[in-house]
Formats: sequence, structure tokens, C-alpha cells
Amino acid sequence: MDMLKTTILILSVLACACPTQAQQLDSTQMAAARTKAQVCFACHGPDGNSTVGEYPILAGQSWRYIYIELKDFKEGRRSDEQMSPVAEKLSTEDMTLLGEFFAAQKQAPIKFPVDSAKVDAGRKTSDAVLCPMCHLGGFVGQNEIPRVAGQWPQYIKKQLADFKARRRTNDAGNMTSVAATLSDADIENLSQYIGNLY
Amino acid sequence: MASHYSMYWRLLAALALACGLTAPVAAQEVTGAATTTTRAMPALTSVTQSMLDGAANDSKNWLHSNGSYDQTRYYTGKQINTQNVARLKPAFVFQTAVVESMETAPIVDNGVMFLTTSFNHVYAIDAKTGEEYWHYKHKLGPIVTVCCGNNNRGVAIAEGKLYMGTIDAKLVALDAKTGKLLWETQIADPDKGYSETMAPAYIDGKILIGTNGGEYGIRGFVKAFDAKDGKLIWTFYTIPDKGHEGVWAAKDATGRDMHRNIEAEKAAFAKDSSFYQQLGGGVWMTPAIDRKTKTVFFVVGNPSPDLYGAIRPGDNLYTDSMVAIDLDKGTYKWHYQYIAHDVWDLDSVSPPILTQAKDANGKMVDVVIHGGKTGHIYIHERDSGKLIRFSEAMIPQENMWVLPTKEGARMLPGANGGVEWSPMAVNPTTRLAYAANLHQPMTYHVEEVPYPGGKLWLGGAFKTIPSEEQWGQLTAINLDTGKVAWKAKTPQPLIGGVLATAGGLVFNGEANGWFKAYDAKTGHELWKYNCGAGVNAPAVSYMVGNTQYIAVAAGGNNQIDAKRGNSVFVFALP
Repeated sequence: MDMLKTTILILSVLACACPTQAQQLDSTQMAAARTKAQVCFACHGPDGNSTVGEYPILAGQSWRYIYIELKDFKEGRRSDEQMSPVAEKLSTEDMTLLGEFFAAQKQAPIKFPVDSAKVDAGRKTSDAVLCPMCHLGGFVGQNEIPRVAGQWPQYIKKQLADFKARRRTNDAGNMTSVAATLSDADIENLSQYIGNLY
Repeated sequence: MASHYSMYWRLLAALALACGLTAPVAAQEVTGAATTTTRAMPALTSVTQSMLDGAANDSKNWLHSNGSYDQTRYYTGKQINTQNVARLKPAFVFQTAVVESMETAPIVDNGVMFLTTSFNHVYAIDAKTGEEYWHYKHKLGPIVTVCCGNNNRGVAIAEGKLYMGTIDAKLVALDAKTGKLLWETQIADPDKGYSETMAPAYIDGKILIGTNGGEYGIRGFVKAFDAKDGKLIWTFYTIPDKGHEGVWAAKDATGRDMHRNIEAEKAAFAKDSSFYQQLGGGVWMTPAIDRKTKTVFFVVGNPSPDLYGAIRPGDNLYTDSMVAIDLDKGTYKWHYQYIAHDVWDLDSVSPPILTQAKDANGKMVDVVIHGGKTGHIYIHERDSGKLIRFSEAMIPQENMWVLPTKEGARMLPGANGGVEWSPMAVNPTTRLAYAANLHQPMTYHVEEVPYPGGKLWLGGAFKTIPSEEQWGQLTAINLDTGKVAWKAKTPQPLIGGVLATAGGLVFNGEANGWFKAYDAKTGHELWKYNCGAGVNAPAVSYMVGNTQYIAVAAGGNNQIDAKRGNSVFVFALP
């Protein structure tokens, strides 16, 4: 089927995504949220636009995904030597506010060496394993399913590898199952393809 | 809480910008007012119960998403017919402000069309010119949990009101004349995975609606609400408190072994049967209603989690079943399960149709039929549910019923079917039912996962097989024999639904933008038009003055990732 062409079209359509309506927090709430988020900026970059491939971009992420991941870090369903101790101290209000804050920030485009053959192969793998059924066309995400478009390839690779190796298991089995049959090359290609979306 | 909308806004903003709209996004947020014109709607006749009852023979209006309470999607007008359809031309194209998957079946009342888009926008437009009267945009709550896209399949209309289910699991009532919100009621908790995409049904002052959520561990239902104020009248749970283990069926409705380990299931069930609260059983599509017997017919979707069965021993009643209940009380009448203990998501989605067919003795009887994801059309006695026959397989079936594995087990059909949610159509003259089919070879993967509390819960994954071709097919099945009368293959899997007309035509759309008319008797292609985006919605037909129109949405589809658009195309003879 012509899914490949279809996907290209959708992605080109989505390529001008601009968060024009993001912020609903009032200025006082926003200031408080920014203060709360300062500690995150050290790794995740200013306003959540990480400049280091090891750390995920949070700007423009869905509030609910951020909230759920923080809760999972706090309650031990997901673990990371840097994140777990940070999340441990957060209240429900903190986690909601942080989710709202980062969801309201504009995601900045990233620069990395793009291999067009890998991007193309990644797109085919994405169609085959039906990524868009949950992550939606253009990987814009929905609700608790994260936006991964324009995410750092290094981070995507690590997460897919962690799902595959079951080092990360807070996904209700969906991603562990999807990743189980991905080869290292598939993971590399997907990371290029998804990272190259914006 | 309003800030939770941000993701949604960004998506909409991106989509609006992408289609070249230069107006600020804020202009699309108007609720209850027009966005492209301020023209007032002319007098709108109030749709009465008797008009709804007579809709099957009403060639002027299209008053139910599937044409009538029988849901045959058979339009009795014949101005457009096999002789002249080749000359069919667009009369107008209506563009919505939302470039995203469109599954709407427009409702037309006395020259006014009501159509919906993803994210629960509703438009009222002139059904002859496409001029907009008003545009309603539902204010979504903070949490939306949907499988397969933020779709909507249309409204119900009655007594001057429109009724719509929303993706944040609400039921809203609008003034049909103005688009003003009259009331809204929360149907279920979206945080637990409930959402609404189906067109509700109106009957006798009640609104009937089911729920999505079989991918999130919900407990499915059909509910009846008071059309006046949205108060709940009754609830029928598609997962009974007791007895959901069923009869421990070893074989499916066609007699094939499903390879269940029933002894192990029984042992597990004896230890714990409390899982019924998360057993799934969504009802995705509008029920059919038999006025004579006051019976509501619907099909129930897959058990949760989709692929991991060990956690939910038993037949998982009434998942993957046709169910008949009492209209007034919502009480059980009968059920027929196609697949007990489904671990493939080959469930029941396409809406039931009430028609007639010959029984085993050749006598014409009232039946209710369903096109399954398995690729069979099932024909039941309407009174008892007894299966009279099932059709030939419309698409390839291989390796049924191999159990899912960690590594993935190949089986055909793939998890989209067969026949997906796409409504079928029936032409009583040709004696044929028309079904939109998919052929998507997949592997089925299982993952042992406990209930994750509102996260997507498939219990594994479905994956297509890149080396294997995917295609679609429009198939005509003889109701009286179950045999295939004709097949028209398409290059892409079909999702959307079918319209049949007394003009001897069948209309069907494709993901590549083609919208086609076929000869109802032979399946010969008679006309086609490319809409420029996936035609993945069911067409409707109506008349304004002396002109017959055919209308269909071309907005693409999330589930098969068909190219998105934002338009409803309306055709007529020049």
C-alpha cells in the first residue's frame, strides 16, 4: 500500500507545527512553574529544550505523559539514577505543574547528522510496526502517549533499547512488545527518522 | 486545568496552518457561531419521531448516520443511477477548519447538513451550496484517552436538537438551529480510558450510546439518556457481573478450534474472577433498533487486554458478540458470541443491520447481520439470535487461530480485519450486502502485563509484515446463500463504509482519495473522482429541490494513516 507516500505527505503537512495556543497558566502560575522547573533545566535545557542528546527534550511534550512519567519515577515503576531521586521529592501538584509548564513551552528544532537512507528505512519500520496508531501521524503524541517528533536520536535509541532489554517496563507492555523484535539497525533507523521530524 | 489543552491546541494549530489557513487559530475557537459566514439558517423543520421511523423510505433527508433504524444505508432515490452516474460532478466542497481524520456520516434535514470532524467540531451548512450557518467546537476536558484517533462519526438529530458523543466521554445536546450548547453530561471517566466516537441513536425521547475503550481496560456498556436533559435512564453493561466465563467454548462461530487451554483457564478463574471491571467490551458503533419488538441490537468489541488472555480466563462475555436488549429497560434478550476468549482483536465493530434473508428452509425471515473482522458476514434470526449462516470468507484467512507469541505469530486476517468499524450497506433488490474489506497481514505478539490503570493496555503488539502486500476490497455477499457475488479489489485497505442506492449503485471511498461508484449487481466500476485526501467515511445521499446529492467526507484516517484532509465533497448530476 501507499502508506509511505501518505506518511511523507502528512509529515510535510505537520512540518510547520507551531505552538500558538499553548499557555493557559496565568502569569503568576507560570512564574511559579518556571521556578519549580529551574532544577530540570540543568539537564533538560532552558525551558526543556535539551541541548544534549542524552537528555530528552521536554518542551512541547504532553502534560499527561510528563505527569505519568514523574509519578512512575517517584513510585519506582521507572528508574533512573538521576531522575528517581529528583522525582521522589515531588508532590502531585508539583508534577502536574511541571507537566503543564513543559507542555506550554515551544519545542526547538534540533541539529544532528541526518542520514537520509536511515530516515527512509526508519519510516518504513515505523509504518510496519504501526507507530502512528498510538503516537499519531507525525509522532505528535496524544494524552499519555508521548510526542517524540524531533526528539534527540540518542535518547530515542536508549529508550527503545531499554524497552527491548526490559530495563524500562512502565509502558504497560506496549513498547516492550513493539521493541522486542526490533533489530539494532531498526532502532538506529527509527531514531533518525523520528528525530528528523519537526 | 485549561492548560491541559495545550497539546490539542498545538496539533490543531499545526493542522490549520498546514492547510494554508491564514486566519488566527483563535478564530476557530468560536463556539456556537459561524466561522466563514454569518448567514442565518432558514426555517429548519423539527425532525419528529415519525420522520425518524420512516427514514428508510425518505429520499429527501438523511436522518440517521446509517440511514434508518435498520441501518441498511440504502437510499431510495434513483435520480443518480447506473445510466447517468458517469456524468456525476462535484456540486460544492465544504472545508472544515480541522485537518484530521474524518469518519463522519453527515445528517441532512430539509436542505441543512450537519457534519462533524475530529476533536468534536460540528458544522451546519447549506446542503445545496455549502454555505456555513454555524460552527460548534466542543470544549474538551483535561483528559482525552483515545485509541485509533480523535475521530467522530456524526450526530443524532431529533426535535430541533443534535446529540454528539465526545472524545472526552461526554454527551452534548445542541440547538440544531444555532449550534448553541443546551446541556452536556459526563458518560464515563476518560481517565480510565472511556471515549466516544460513535454517532448516538435517538428514539422515543432517549439517546442511546455505547463507549470506546477496549484498549484501556474499561468495562463496556450501552447507556440510555433522557434527550431532554441528559439524565441517565438505564445502563446495560457488556460485561456481566456474573457469568462472563460463558460456556468455555472451544470453537469459534464457524467451527474452528481456537486452541484454548480451557483447564488452565478454569483453574485461573476459580482463583480470581474479579477482573470483569477491566474486561473491555467497547461498543464502537450505533445500534440498530427494531421498533416492532422494541429491541436494540449492537456488537461488542474485544476483551482487555487485546492480546494477553491468561489474565482474563473464560469466554469473556459479551465481548466479540452480537447482543440484543430491551429498548425500554435495557435488559438482556440474547447474545451470540463469534470468538470466545479473543486474543487477536478480531472483534465485532461494524454496526448491525436489520434486513431479511432466507433461512435454512428457504423461508424469508427477519434477520440481523454483522460483518466481522474475521472476514465473514454473520446472518442471525432476529428473534433468537440463532446463526442462520455465515458468508464465505471475503479476504484471505491463514493460520487461524494460532496463538500470539512473544516473537510474533503470523495470522490472517490482521487485527484491523476483515471488516473494521466501516458500516456495510444492503440492497434488498439485489439481495446483496456490501462490505468494505481490509487485507493487512500481521504478526500477533503477546506480553504479560497486569492492568496498568488507564494506560494503553494491548498486552502485546500487532505488527504488519513489510514484505507482504496490503490491499482492500469491496465485496458483495448474497444474503440468502452467503456466497460472494462479486469482489472489487482496491490498492489500499478499506476503512470508511458503504452506501447503496435504488439507482443500482454502490458508493465507496479509498485511502488514496478515490471515491467510486459501482454497479450494484456486477461490481463494475462506473464512476470515480479523486478527492485529494483519504475518503475514509461512509457516504450519504439526499435531495434538495429536485436534485439528488451524494456527500462524503475526505479527511483521511488515523488508523491506516491515510492522507489527511478537511473536506466534505458533495456531488450531483450537472
